[in-house]
Amino acid sequence: MRRPARTTRLLAALAVTTLATGVLLTGPASADDSSSPTPATSSAPTVFTVGMTEDIDSANPFTGIAAVSYEIFQMEYPTLTEYAASDFSTAPGLAESWTESADHKTWTYKIRSGLTWSDGQPLTAHDAAYTFNRILKGKYEQTNYSSYTDNIVKAVAPDDTTLVLTVKQPSPIMEKLAVYILPEHIWKNIDEKAVKSYKNEGTPDSPTVGAGPYVMVERRVGQFIRMQANPSFFRGKPAVDEVVFKIYKNQDALGQALKKGEIDFADSLEANVFKSLQNQPGITTLSATYSGFNELAFNTGAALDNGTPIGDGNPLLKDKKLRQALGWAIDRQTLVDKVLGGGGSVGSTIIPPMYASLHLDPADPVTYDPEKAKTLLDAAGYKVGPDGIRTDANGNRLEFRLFGRTDSSGNASQKAVQFIKGYLNAVGVAVDVKMMSSDNLTTIIGEGNFDMFEWGWVVEPDPNYQLSTFTCANRSYKDGGTIYANLSDSFYCNPAYDKLFQQQSVTTDVAARTAIVKQMQQMLYDDSPYIVTYYYDNLEAYRSDRFTGFVNQPSPDGSLLFQYGTWSYENMKPVVASAPASPTPGQTIAQGDVVQPTSSTNWALIIGIVVLVLLALGGGVWLGRGRNRDFAADDDRE
Amino acid sequence: MALLTDAPSHSAAPGRRSGRLSPGVRYALRRTLTAISTLVFVVLFNFFLFRVMPGDPIGLYTRGRNVDADQIRALREALDKPLIQQLFEYLKNPFSQGVDSVKYSQPVWDVIGPRVWPTLLLVGSATVIATVVGVWLGIRSGWRRGGRFDTVATNVTLVLYSMPEFWFGMIMLIVFAVGVGPIPGIFPIGGLSTPGVDTSSPAGWLDVAFHLVLPVTTLAVIYLAEYSLIMRASIIEETSQDYLQTARAKGLMDKRVRQRHAVPNALLPTMTLVFLNLGFVVGGAITIEYVFSIDGLGSLTVDALQGPDVPLLQALFLLFSAAVIFANLVADLMYGLLDPRVRT
Repeated sequence: MRRPARTTRLLAALAVTTLATGVLLTGPASADDSSSPTPATSSAPTVFTVGMTEDIDSANPFTGIAAVSYEIFQMEYPTLTEYAASDFSTAPGLAESWTESADHKTWTYKIRSGLTWSDGQPLTAHDAAYTFNRILKGKYEQTNYSSYTDNIVKAVAPDDTTLVLTVKQPSPIMEKLAVYILPEHIWKNIDEKAVKSYKNEGTPDSPTVGAGPYVMVERRVGQFIRMQANPSFFRGKPAVDEVVFKIYKNQDALGQALKKGEIDFADSLEANVFKSLQNQPGITTLSATYSGFNELAFNTGAALDNGTPIGDGNPLLKDKKLRQALGWAIDRQTLVDKVLGGGGSVGSTIIPPMYASLHLDPADPVTYDPEKAKTLLDAAGYKVGPDGIRTDANGNRLEFRLFGRTDSSGNASQKAVQFIKGYLNAVGVAVDVKMMSSDNLTTIIGEGNFDMFEWGWVVEPDPNYQLSTFTCANRSYKDGGTIYANLSDSFYCNPAYDKLFQQQSVTTDVAARTAIVKQMQQMLYDDSPYIVTYYYDNLEAYRSDRFTGFVNQPSPDGSLLFQYGTWSYENMKPVVASAPASPTPGQTIAQGDVVQPTSSTNWALIIGIVVLVLLALGGGVWLGRGRNRDFAADDDRE
Repeated sequence: MALLTDAPSHSAAPGRRSGRLSPGVRYALRRTLTAISTLVFVVLFNFFLFRVMPGDPIGLYTRGRNVDADQIRALREALDKPLIQQLFEYLKNPFSQGVDSVKYSQPVWDVIGPRVWPTLLLVGSATVIATVVGVWLGIRSGWRRGGRFDTVATNVTLVLYSMPEFWFGMIMLIVFAVGVGPIPGIFPIGGLSTPGVDTSSPAGWLDVAFHLVLPVTTLAVIYLAEYSLIMRASIIEETSQDYLQTARAKGLMDKRVRQRHAVPNALLPTMTLVFLNLGFVVGGAITIEYVFSIDGLGSLTVDALQGPDVPLLQALFLLFSAAVIFANLVADLMYGLLDPRVRT
C-alpha cells in the first residue's frame, strides 16, 4: 500500500512542477522578444533610473503641487524663459527673446519658429496664448499659477511666433514666468470640469504630448514613472533614451539600491546614508549647494493681518535687542558640523548664498561670541537672577518654549533644538524644548501659541515669495471664527519693510530690484525675527561608472538633478564602455554597463524559477498528502 | 457566541412554524442584518471621528508654496461646509466618487484603487501561505505532542512570532537583496515590478512574483506561528475526545484517524482566525510595506494621517471596517455550514 501511495504523491508534485516550469520557460522567451525587437541593429535602450522617496501627487500641471511633480512637468513642458544652469540668470526658453513696452504695460515674446510637439503637431505662439488664457479664465487652473498670472490681463498671439501679454502693473516676474505651455490641441478637449480629475499620465501606446526633453510613457502609482526622450525637443533629442523615477519608501533602501546598481541617481539623501555611499566603487557623491535654510524663529508679537493680537507668545521676545543678543549666543558652525555632518554652511540672511547675485553678505556679521551676547543682554537690562536665569527690570524671567519637529529629515530638528537649548542656557536663558509633528507645529504657529521654533524654507530663484513671508499682510487671518496660518510665521510687521516689498515687486530693472532686495535682507538681519542657523546642502550620489555629463546648477557645485530647468537630463550620457561592439549579456554585467534591465531580468528569471519550483514542489507534496487517505505514517515515527 | 442567540423563543411556541424559512436561511439572514447594521454604525462613527481631529490640511499642503491667500481660501471653502451638510452629503453615498483627497486632488476612491492590489497580493498571499504551512505544522506538532518535531517547530515559530516585523524584514533585505559575504543580493530592494516590464504578460507576472518573494516570505514567516499554535492547541484538545478512541478501536490507521476525524473538528477555531485575518488583509502591513517599498493601503494610511487628509482617511477607514465586517459575516456563514449546531 505505501509504495504506490508515495509514487502518486511524487507524480502529483512533479506534475505541478512541470506545469510551473512550463510557464516559466515560455515566460523568459517572450520577455526577451519584447525587450529587443530588432536585436541585429540596435542595442537595448539606455535607461537612467532615479531613486526617490516620494511619489508625484499628480501628473497634471494644474493639480500637482509636490516638488517631485514639478520635475516631471519641466521635463515635459517648455516655459517661455528658463533659469540658466550657471547662475540662475534668465535664459531663453520657448521664447528666443522678449521686450517690455516703454509704459511697462505689455510684454512681447518672440517664440521659436518651426517647433513641433512630441506628436508632430506644430507648436506655436497660439499654444502659449491658449495656456495663459486658460489660466486667466479658469478658477481651478489658477491655483498653481496665480503668483505668475494675477498681474496679467490678457494673452494674444498675433502670429505663430509672437505672444503679447498685457499686465496691470510693472512686474519683474514677467521675465520668469514658470508657466508650463501646454498643447492646445490636447487640452482644449479637457473642459474646466474634466481638468480637475484629468490625470495626464502617458501610456506606452499614447505618451503624454509635450515639448520638453522627455515625455511620460508610463506611471504606476507609488512605484515608478517612465519618461522617454522626445526627438522633437528644440535643443535636440537627449542622449539617454529613458529616464525612470523609482520610488522607495525609505532612505536606507535608496542607498542600498544605488550601491547595488538598481538605480543610477539618488537625491536629497540623509547624512548617514550619504556617508555610507562615499568612497564606494562606481559611485560619486556630491554635497551640492542648495537653496534651503533653517532658522531659529521668534514670536515677534503674534497678531492677525488686521493687527489684533493673538496667541500666548512671551512678550519679552518683541524686544529686538533681546533677539539680536541671542544671535551672538548660537554657534552656527557647530550646528553645521554636528547637525548636518558638515553638509552645509553657516547661515546669515534669508536669501541663500547660492543665489549669488541676490544674497546679501552682511557687512558686520553676527558670529558666535557668548561673552558679547551676555554683554548685550546686560546692556538691554536683562540681569542674571539668583538661579542663573536672567530677568527683565520687572522680574520677568527669560524663559521660553522652543518647538522642534519630530519628522525632520535625519532628525536634524531634534539635534538642532538640543544644541540651541544649550547655547541659550549658557547665556542665562531658560529653554523648554518640546517636539511635535510639522502638522501640529503649523497650526500652533498660525495661532501664535509659541515663543520660538526651529524650521526652514526652500527659497525660489525669484525672491518675491520668500520676502513676502515677512509682510504684515501675510500674518494669520480669521475666517468664520477660525484662525488660519498664513505665510508669516514670525509675525514680523514693519511698515518700512512692507514699502520696500511693494517697491521690489514692481521694479523691472534687475539692478535696481537687487539693491532693494539686499536692503530688505539687511533689515531682517538687523531686526532678527529669524536667526538663520545654516544653509544645508543637497546630498546627491550617482553611478559615475554608468553616466556622465551632468550639469551643476549653479556652477560649480550646485545640484545635478531637481534643478530649475532640465539641464542635466539634456546633457547627461552613458559612460561608453571600452567593450567590443556587440557585447554578450554576461560581459555587459561584468563591465557594469547601462543595459541593466536585461541583466537583472536574467537573474530575476533564474531565481524566480528556483523559488517557484520550490513553492510548487512544496504545494504538490502538501496536496498529495491531503488527498491521500492511506497516508504513510512512517515519517512521523519518533 | 452565535450558539446563544434566541434559542428560547423556539421552545416558547412548540409546534408552531415561525415562518416558511428554514433555520439555515434564517441564521444567514440574521447574520447579514447584523453585519449591515454594524456597517451603518461604522459609517456614522467614521464621519464624526474625523471631524474632531485637529489640523489644517490646506495650510499644510500650501506651506512653502507659491499660492496666494485667495487661492488658499478657495481651497479651504470646499472643506468648510456646515457639519450637517457634510454629514448629509456623506450619508447620501459614502462610496461616492465626488469626494476629493486633499493631498492627491483626486476622488478618494481613485487614489485608493491602484493601491488595493499590491496590498492584496502581498498580505493575501502571505496569509494563504502562512495558513497552509501553519495548519500543517500545527497538526503535526499537536498529534505527537512533546515529540522532537513539536519541540523544534513550536520553539522556532515562537521565536519568529516574537520578532518585530520591520527588523526581520530588514534582515531579509540585507541578506537576500543587498547580499552578505558569499550570499549574492539577488532579489530587488523594493517595488512590485521592474519599470518597463508589461505586468499583464507571463513574464510580467513572474517579475511581480520575484519582487514579492522577500516581503511575502517575511510576512508569512511571522504570521505562521499564530495558525500553527492555534491548530496545535485544538488538535491536542481533540486527541483526548472519546470519538477518536472509538475510531482507533475500529482498527483505523493512525493517519486516517488524524486526517478524517481529528483534523476536521480541530479546524473550526483556525477557520475563524483565518477569516478574521482575511478581513485585516486590506489594512495592509504598514512596516513591511515601508521596508520593501510597496505602495499599498498601509502606507497610504500613514501618508493620509499627515495633514490629515480627512476625506482620504475617512474612505480608508470605511474600507477597512467594511472588509472586517464582511470577513466576519463570511466566517459566520461558513461556520453555519461547517457546524450545524450554530444554526439553531
